[in-house]
Amino acid sequence: MPELKIKGVTIVETFAEAFPMVATRVIITAPTLEWALISARTMTGFATSVIACGAEAGIERILTPRETMDGRPGVAVLLFTMNADKLQTQLRNRVGQCVLTSPGSACFAGLEGEKKLKLGASLRFFGDGWQVSKVIGGRRFWRIPVMDGEFLCEATTGLTKKAVGGGNLLVLGKSHKSVLTACTRAVKAIAELPDVITPFPGGIVRSGSKVGSKYKGQIASTNDAYCPTLKAAVDTALPLDIEAVMEIVIDGLSFEAIHKAMHAGIHAIAKGGAREGVTHISAGNYGGNLGPHHFHLKEIVG
Amino acid sequence: MSALTFKLRSKPDQRLDLSPLVPARLAKLKEKQIEALVIGTTRAKLTVGDVFKIKGDEVAKLRFAGTDGRCDNIGRGLTEGEIVVDGHAGAYLGAAMKRGKIEVKGNAGALAGASMAGGILTIGGNAGENAAGVLVGETQGMRGGVLTIGRNAGPLVGERMRRGLVIVGGNAGDYAGGRMIAGTILIKRGVGRHAGFGLRRGSLIFLREPEDILPTFGDCGVLEFDYLRLLEHWLRETGRPVRLGGRARRLMGDMSVLGKGEMLILD
Repeated sequence: MPELKIKGVTIVETFAEAFPMVATRVIITAPTLEWALISARTMTGFATSVIACGAEAGIERILTPRETMDGRPGVAVLLFTMNADKLQTQLRNRVGQCVLTSPGSACFAGLEGEKKLKLGASLRFFGDGWQVSKVIGGRRFWRIPVMDGEFLCEATTGLTKKAVGGGNLLVLGKSHKSVLTACTRAVKAIAELPDVITPFPGGIVRSGSKVGSKYKGQIASTNDAYCPTLKAAVDTALPLDIEAVMEIVIDGLSFEAIHKAMHAGIHAIAKGGAREGVTHISAGNYGGNLGPHHFHLKEIVG
Repeated sequence: MSALTFKLRSKPDQRLDLSPLVPARLAKLKEKQIEALVIGTTRAKLTVGDVFKIKGDEVAKLRFAGTDGRCDNIGRGLTEGEIVVDGHAGAYLGAAMKRGKIEVKGNAGALAGASMAGGILTIGGNAGENAAGVLVGETQGMRGGVLTIGRNAGPLVGERMRRGLVIVGGNAGDYAGGRMIAGTILIKRGVGRHAGFGLRRGSLIFLREPEDILPTFGDCGVLEFDYLRLLEHWLRETGRPVRLGGRARRLMGDMSVLGKGEMLILD
């Protein structure tokens, strides 16, 4: 069977293995877009991987004043965890410490969802009895007095159990610069799409991991097969001329959303062609037995 | 199918109790049975057929035409459907209604929307005293839904109200929001004396500063309220545009009771 190539970049015949997650969306508004972004970035900071951050989170998109409930600039944030209880804890802590504290902010539900998560319904206790409940159009909002006026926060937001985490693309190239350039372009392309985030720094992971380690208690360790400095010592997956590998991890509210994001990502990476220095686009999996969602690159490209 | 229409033949010589004429009650009845419903309030027996000419067959959409201020209990306890009143309504319009929609082109009498729990009640003209107030035998006033009064409201609008929104397009009488438990009353023009008397929680939003403010309300100064922006946005989206802006003077009260209520006087 001939190799599948786009502009000289080889699309490896493999698949990304992804896992079911639970997720929610909240809308943060502020007097200016700058402050809405500060609040959202703070809330989604230290949320690259559930392994040690408790959650995976990111900015989904920017909302114009016409799109928000209070007519101010806003930002949509997606938050993912492995189960609903953890999601509730992460949501409360992150909104409580990062959005409630942010000057002029307000926080609204961003998802209808099958079930509800408490948002203002738990943060209202910060009001120490001075909080005010308002029901507008069947939705409850809490007005919590704070030092710059009031923190307006919707009582609940929705939760979806259909979310998928761990969609990914591995990008192999002949220079660090070429891989970073191509991946940056892909993250930008994915950022345009709804229902997905790329939770890692700038959307890119340089330290992909394998399950387990030679050390006791270390549950994940470096993916040596993809480390260019170890080509001679391990069962490497890399040709000799590969200098760097980077990974783009995608979390989405649905299988379809990740499928579309991976499609956009692959085409953005390949846009520079083999001339740019990128040689292969691959994907990470664990043999297909761990995660129920498989994204075959060949199908995605087609 | 066209709306089931009740057209008043001539002015009746007694007040009418139109509470049986709601979709839930009429759904199972044939036209003859509807005509036989008793709606009189005196010893002289009066039926629907004596007073109204019936047209149309769509029970979920009722229409009253030519009614006056003696047609009481229109849409009382409404649980579903839509009622349009092409005329005036008497007392208890939409009282204790739970769901559905009532629209009155003219004026309404006393206790419109009293103790209503939900739904949308719209009065084009004036409303009498105790709109959204306490229905006889109840302990609370309006408990949910939206009541819009196009022009003026009588005294005691929203008395003992618990939840929901009342919008008064014109002036409101004395004791607006009296003894209110919670909820929101938005008054676009002037308001009478003693507004917010006994207010526990809840918001009275004034587009114009009241001439007379109770001494038991404490001033918090002029502040930003994102809540007002949220309310303005929702009102515009639901076809009731009001310019609220985000700044208002906040007065807390009534300090003679719980004191967690507020007057927001737009800046």
